Amino acid sequence: MPSLAKQPQEQKAVLRIEDLHTWFEIRRMGFFKAGDVRALDGASFELYEGETISIVGESGCGKSTLAKTILGINHISKGSIFFEDQDLSTLDKEGWKRYRSAIGYIQQDPYGALPPFMSVQRILEEPMKINGIKDKAEQKKRIRQVLEEVKLAPIEDFLPKFPHMLSGGQQQRLVIARAMILEPRMLIADEPVSMLDASVRVEILQLLQALQRRHNLAIIYITHDLSTVRYFSERIFAMYGGKIIEKSSTIGLLEKPLHPYTAALFEATSDPDAENLTTFKDVPAGEPPSLMNPPPGCRFHPRCRKIIKGLCDTQMPPEFWVREDHAASCWLYKDQA
Amino acid sequence: MSDKKVMLDVQNLKLYFRTQAGPVQAVDEVSFKLKAGHTLAVVGESGCGKSSLAKAILRLLPRNISTYTGSIVFDGQDIMKYDDEKFRREIRWSKIASVPQASMNSLNPVVRIEEQLIEPLLIHERRSKQKARERVAEVFEIVGLPVDFLQRYPFELSGGMRQRAIIAMALASNPKLVVLDEPSSALDLLSQANLMNVLKRIKQQMETTFILITHDIGTASELADEIAVMYAGKMVEYASADYFYTDAHHPYSQKLMASVPTLREDKKLEFIPGQPPSLINPPTGCRFAARCDKKFAKCAVQPETTYLENGATVQCWLFDETGEVKHA
Repeated sequence: MPSLAKQPQEQKAVLRIEDLHTWFEIRRMGFFKAGDVRALDGASFELYEGETISIVGESGCGKSTLAKTILGINHISKGSIFFEDQDLSTLDKEGWKRYRSAIGYIQQDPYGALPPFMSVQRILEEPMKINGIKDKAEQKKRIRQVLEEVKLAPIEDFLPKFPHMLSGGQQQRLVIARAMILEPRMLIADEPVSMLDASVRVEILQLLQALQRRHNLAIIYITHDLSTVRYFSERIFAMYGGKIIEKSSTIGLLEKPLHPYTAALFEATSDPDAENLTTFKDVPAGEPPSLMNPPPGCRFHPRCRKIIKGLCDTQMPPEFWVREDHAASCWLYKDQA
Repeated sequence: MSDKKVMLDVQNLKLYFRTQAGPVQAVDEVSFKLKAGHTLAVVGESGCGKSSLAKAILRLLPRNISTYTGSIVFDGQDIMKYDDEKFRREIRWSKIASVPQASMNSLNPVVRIEEQLIEPLLIHERRSKQKARERVAEVFEIVGLPVDFLQRYPFELSGGMRQRAIIAMALASNPKLVVLDEPSSALDLLSQANLMNVLKRIKQQMETTFILITHDIGTASELADEIAVMYAGKMVEYASADYFYTDAHHPYSQKLMASVPTLREDKKLEFIPGQPPSLINPPTGCRFAARCDKKFAKCAVQPETTYLENGATVQCWLFDETGEVKHA
């Protein structure tokens, strides 16, 4: 059910990111600087209330680094993040605490994200204790509310259970409940369903969607699986080699991916269809570039078949807005913007 | 298609594991036939017994086995009658090779790729080192890796390359049947598509028979001639891929198909409420009945295998021999 591309300009931006870089320093023998891993190399976008942005890409493209930088787990090397018009670099310790309580984080591996020695009740109480919700009645009310929302019922049965007593789908719902307990305004879901079975995936995605509608949440949905984004998000960003290379409304991208890399991702995704047996996939060989020594120019050019010699291998392509809601960082579109 | 001989004929295969709580019925009365040169994709959710089925065919069993019965006729020989030594010498790796789950990460990091790949040839086929090296170089080319990569160490190869090296290792002894357990699920999308291209080419050129174990129904369609759906230790449906992807019969298969998101068309996604039953003391009737919205009185009895017209089989009381729904 892809909804039409909204005119996001009319909505309130929850998150604004400007030219964000996250570089990790690599040291030789402990103290000689050997270089930087440019995990995230210049990202800019705005996320609006009630909207989902999907970020797709393969491992090592920087999508999780982006999430962790927004969450404040990674430091910012360059650029800035604004949350509700507040620059994160100006926040003091209290400010960070308030900011972190306003964003929920849903991890990929639910079992790894839940402390095995805590009961469901304690897992849900913990964030409230840390953030100063000490009133027992209020705690109880909130626990009841989030467990109802994620459909872990009957609630009394689940409260004393430990994570290992829950199935994978139930664990992931508990992770979502924990992310929701402080009533956040934004969720970051990092591959929330990739560890789950096919029959449960849809249930979890629909649950997230229902929560989003009820609370007008802004969601960043990180995934490597292009086929789920159609059902879940308004906009898609594709990442490659630490850069956002394509930004589009979901419909626009699914109709026609512009960047050759996004087109390859599209081609590589198999729909269940017996005809696949007789056709070969046209995908580029090779591997994503090293982020310590990224190639000059477009980072995809060594694998790209549509390379323009002398341009793609020397100059980094800027964002070309081919349509109002669809941009690609690719020199192929320099005359169409 | 029908003139091809049957490469693998499995009948009533049972594999139960012994635990303190009782036997786990990981594979229960599974029967199917696979023709030479065909690929069977075994699909199902985690814990449905698909990897156990692979292990039962290869006889790579843990120690806590309580039941291991049935017949496996491979290339005309009932290999269940072989003793372990004969099975090891004549079947495993030389005739039935396997690519276990996550095996690309089990290459020895301090030994060059070539040394590791020639080892099964030296042991199982008693080839000379020179001959083994030549053969390994041959299969390396088949899987699309440059031959000089044989001199590298595993960490110098990417995940997709290591997986291809492992597949080369399985193909080196020219096996008749190769069992692939989730060969591509740890790989990135593009490497996965490349690997599927390689396997498809091998399948067309070398006429190898494959059993592909996967949870990904979309990827399975890249390689499968036949699809087997497992649920809670039972093979609930077995059908040709053509037939399965357009007209799956078992209610579980239908729901599973409805839960797979598609990229190219918009469909209404569904999910299956509830969980699979425990395989220790599973329900006596149909194991899917508790989650099935079409269940009726008869489902309290384990359904018999129904043979449909086009060679497909389904374990569900809903259908008569023609695939028509018997009970409205």
